[in-house]
Amino acid sequence: MGLSSANTVVNEGFQFCIFDLRRGQHEGQELDKILFFYPADLPFSTQLSVIGLSEGLITFTRIFSPEAACEVIEAERNSHVFHQAEPDIWMVMVVEKSKESDSIWRIDALRRVLKEVHSLFVMFHGSIRSLLDKDPSGELVRSHLYAFIMDYLSAFQKRSTWDVCCCDFLVGKKIKLPSFRDCLKERGTVQMLTVGREAALEVQSLVRVLESCAGNAPCYSLVLFQDLLVSTTLSPDDTINLFTYAVLRLAPNALLSRASSWSYLRKGNTASQIAAASVMASSGSVSEQFYGSRDTSPHGGERSHHVVRPLQHNKWYKGMDGFLVTDIWGPEVGSMVSATPTVLLQQTEERMYLCVYQHKSLTLILLFPISSILNGEQGISVVKQQIVENASLKMLKVEEKLSKGWGGENAYHVGGYRYLLVDGDRNVSRASPPGKVTTLTKESLISLSNLREEIDLEKSRAKWDDPGHEKDLEICIRAKNNAWVIARTTRGKELYMVLEKANETLLFASDAIEKFSNRYCSGAFSLD
Amino acid sequence: MSSDSSSSISNDGSTDQNPNPSPTAKPLDFLQERLASIALTEPNGGAESPSDQEPQAGVSNGSFIEEIQEVVQNNQAAGSEAVVEEVSESFTHGVVWRDNSEHEVDAPSSPSSSGYAGERGSSSATSESGIGEGGEDEIREVRNDDSVDGVSDLQQSWVPGKRHVDEDDASISWRKRKKHFFILSNSGKPIYSRYGDEHKLAGFSATLQAIISFVENGGDRVQLVRAGKHQVVFLVKGPIYLVCISCTEEPYESLRSQLELIYGQMLLILTKSVNRCFEKNPKFDMTPLLGGTDVVFSSLIHSFNWSLVLSGAQKASLHPDDMLLLSNFVMSSESFRTSESFSPICLPRYNPMAFLYAYVHYLDVDTYLMLLTTKSDAFYHLKDCRLRIETVLLKSNVLSEVQRSLLDGGMRVEDLPVDTSPRSGILSAHLGQHKVPTESPETSREEYIGVGGPFGLWHFIYRSIYLDQYVSSEFSPPINSSRQQKRLYRAYQKLYASMHDRGVGPPHKTQFRRDENYVLLCWVTPEFELYAAFDPLADKALAIRTCNRVCQWVKDVENEIFLLGASPFSW
Repeated sequence: MGLSSANTVVNEGFQFCIFDLRRGQHEGQELDKILFFYPADLPFSTQLSVIGLSEGLITFTRIFSPEAACEVIEAERNSHVFHQAEPDIWMVMVVEKSKESDSIWRIDALRRVLKEVHSLFVMFHGSIRSLLDKDPSGELVRSHLYAFIMDYLSAFQKRSTWDVCCCDFLVGKKIKLPSFRDCLKERGTVQMLTVGREAALEVQSLVRVLESCAGNAPCYSLVLFQDLLVSTTLSPDDTINLFTYAVLRLAPNALLSRASSWSYLRKGNTASQIAAASVMASSGSVSEQFYGSRDTSPHGGERSHHVVRPLQHNKWYKGMDGFLVTDIWGPEVGSMVSATPTVLLQQTEERMYLCVYQHKSLTLILLFPISSILNGEQGISVVKQQIVENASLKMLKVEEKLSKGWGGENAYHVGGYRYLLVDGDRNVSRASPPGKVTTLTKESLISLSNLREEIDLEKSRAKWDDPGHEKDLEICIRAKNNAWVIARTTRGKELYMVLEKANETLLFASDAIEKFSNRYCSGAFSLD
Repeated sequence: MSSDSSSSISNDGSTDQNPNPSPTAKPLDFLQERLASIALTEPNGGAESPSDQEPQAGVSNGSFIEEIQEVVQNNQAAGSEAVVEEVSESFTHGVVWRDNSEHEVDAPSSPSSSGYAGERGSSSATSESGIGEGGEDEIREVRNDDSVDGVSDLQQSWVPGKRHVDEDDASISWRKRKKHFFILSNSGKPIYSRYGDEHKLAGFSATLQAIISFVENGGDRVQLVRAGKHQVVFLVKGPIYLVCISCTEEPYESLRSQLELIYGQMLLILTKSVNRCFEKNPKFDMTPLLGGTDVVFSSLIHSFNWSLVLSGAQKASLHPDDMLLLSNFVMSSESFRTSESFSPICLPRYNPMAFLYAYVHYLDVDTYLMLLTTKSDAFYHLKDCRLRIETVLLKSNVLSEVQRSLLDGGMRVEDLPVDTSPRSGILSAHLGQHKVPTESPETSREEYIGVGGPFGLWHFIYRSIYLDQYVSSEFSPPINSSRQQKRLYRAYQKLYASMHDRGVGPPHKTQFRRDENYVLLCWVTPEFELYAAFDPLADKALAIRTCNRVCQWVKDVENEIFLLGASPFSW
């Protein structure tokens, strides 16, 4: 029985698909609409039934809510989270509510995973639609999506404790999704380093020097210290994407994890390698299944085209000159030198060369428009040389200054508080260090996670009611375990807090927010 | 039915090897078709032409699918007419709709809009406040206490019963209704729809059924779909499916419990034995059984705007839900008012399978006596009982007492004692004797003149856990319009859902919540639950003190406002 056999597969607990509503609208061509499906080895009948339900509910909900189609389906055993990534291109994630307590999550946190993987994809490969236009058979976009998303999901070794923003999800065969334990984090935001005035001036002058190194070519830069952003000259959206990528694969911690997994790599059996390899294999076989039986595919040879996998693990190394190198983008035609990576900026829609320089904890990301660098790789190496010559001293100085001023991984810990502060206008967040968050009880975390879900709903309603209007809301709950769980939103800023060792009176809790607000948020959450 | 669909699906097992997707697509097509039939009628929908679907109809092999095909075709016919209608409408009223949807609360055409304040006593709930005389009497309309809004007008503006019967799923106006309720059978036959003609909604109903069974076939049960401001809530009760589509801000838990109540109301009329009819014949049409009861459902749905059902462990054997449903049934049916009646009913919380018989007689315009029995031939006996009870009530002046107490109303926030000195026996302030605050500082007095009680207190609900009864204050300015009352109830609903944390585990202990509209405070102890609403600018410390005073006040007058030591209602 088709569907019941599908059920046993559904039990694996996680499905992720991308489909295009413009494709496969005729009988017999339904498979055309599937652009990505995880797990790839699910029978097509099951894949189609997941997509069919999604498609059905998108159509259905538009009857009543034409401006916003289906966002989530809550069923007894599964949550289906929807995200319309591009016009008519939908991403749907189906997650099982297992008996395990960790399967308590916020829908919005899951949706942010979908948004993140899509924006990163677009940054490297361009929009899904553009790839479909380039190759209407869909093969090009499918191979890119499979490689990219599987790398995104793939296994990850033990992480450093303060790597708060980004993590990979595939642990062994199990996908580990953001759960209630991550309720004091906000994906899709940037974490900033607080710097003193003197250091800020140094950073500024460094940025100016860097910009001058490219000559007349416009140049954007991003400066990171550890996993924290120090400065950016990019638009907010592009900043988030590059920051996310940097923390995932470029920052010292990401490189460290490469080093620590080196031995596995040499043994050739790291989970990620296997997962990624099997993905490639299965995506190949999927294509084969897709096209082998049909006449539309001109020949099988097209599959051999090179798929760039920017999220592949363990592919970035520090070179002799301080620049990070990778062979992800393949060798330059006719040479042994690796090609310089490129990314697409969201704001300017311009393709840029991506150069990364690292000195100790300091990571510099430099972007030059491809069009402005003559002679390709040769031009890039000239620019790199310029940077080493003109800016390396400044970089040393800045690194030293920032290191001195930095309080370590617990720098942003505030005694007695466990908090998350989000500035929605600037897409910046700051939170208690993860090591401190883990001291909270499960009950407190679940209470806060549920409260955040409530706030998410209020925010989205406010958005539909009156787009320009910022919701002003204060909720303080004395939870069943006697912890205070608090949410405040005002003028685009949000503050979430758990106070476990607090007095029982509401006034005490309010006082605690007031003090925190005055001291760390310039009074943004203080009552006038 | 389910065997039909599963057998047709089992053919697909082979398709794993077979790249030809057409057999696989069948269950899918099925849902898609359902939706295409709706998309058809969309004003600017680029859906396929009806002829696209004809060949598929031929492919179907199960009787179930054939039946649906029939429905699809009917719907298409209806749909194509509707398109014409709609287009012309869109030319003339394009702007008006927008207007309607924004101001629906005030539009006389809309039931949710009406000032039904006169009926707010249908919340058996609020009326409990002032009286403690007898079980049945607590559930009744409080009519004459709202001189501001004018009762007679209000009565006119909300006429119980169904409206907008001319609408169907192709009408823009229908799509813009804020809150739809549907009852349908598991074969997709419409049983009840709050708006529109059930017969014209057959296609839509089949779509709802398709969604539910599609998810069910995948081994799951759909509970909720969210899209923008809309929530679609599903409840499956054996062969009966209930669906609510709402863009009100009510929490999922509230909407779901409303569906439970609607199901309960259906059982009250039919008992659960109706399930057997479906076992015998999946295509069983139960609309005739419910004939003429539209008004009962619409009245119940309307009461959702005003009623709070605070559920909890029940000590009394008559469950509050049963009480609510029973009173709704009696009060929404005009025939009970005109003559003494003897009607079979079922109390779903008591025993969903069995019929009881209710003897109902109105003692005066507001008060009715209901006697329940298991004996179908007890009419004359109960009539006799009623006569004796009535005599006693009349002799002892209880009925006029009841009338007087209704006029006096319940607790008023303005009467909250604010003097900080130890109180020496609070008098029956709730009976309307205004207690002038003597020691309150000038500022605080200014603060609450004309705007509710002291320190910005607007309203409260106090529930005694032990007694399983609650009292709520009368609505005072500025919560005097029905619209504001509805908004306050919705705010309480959210607060309740948030405190009870999705119904998992014990509730939280305290909550303070401030938004543009209110400061809300909730306090849950083993003894009581207090929900209080204040001016959004209310001072936190004063609000807390005020809540403490409310609790003290309620305890002081407990004897008068609650039914103490009443023997549990038992059979």
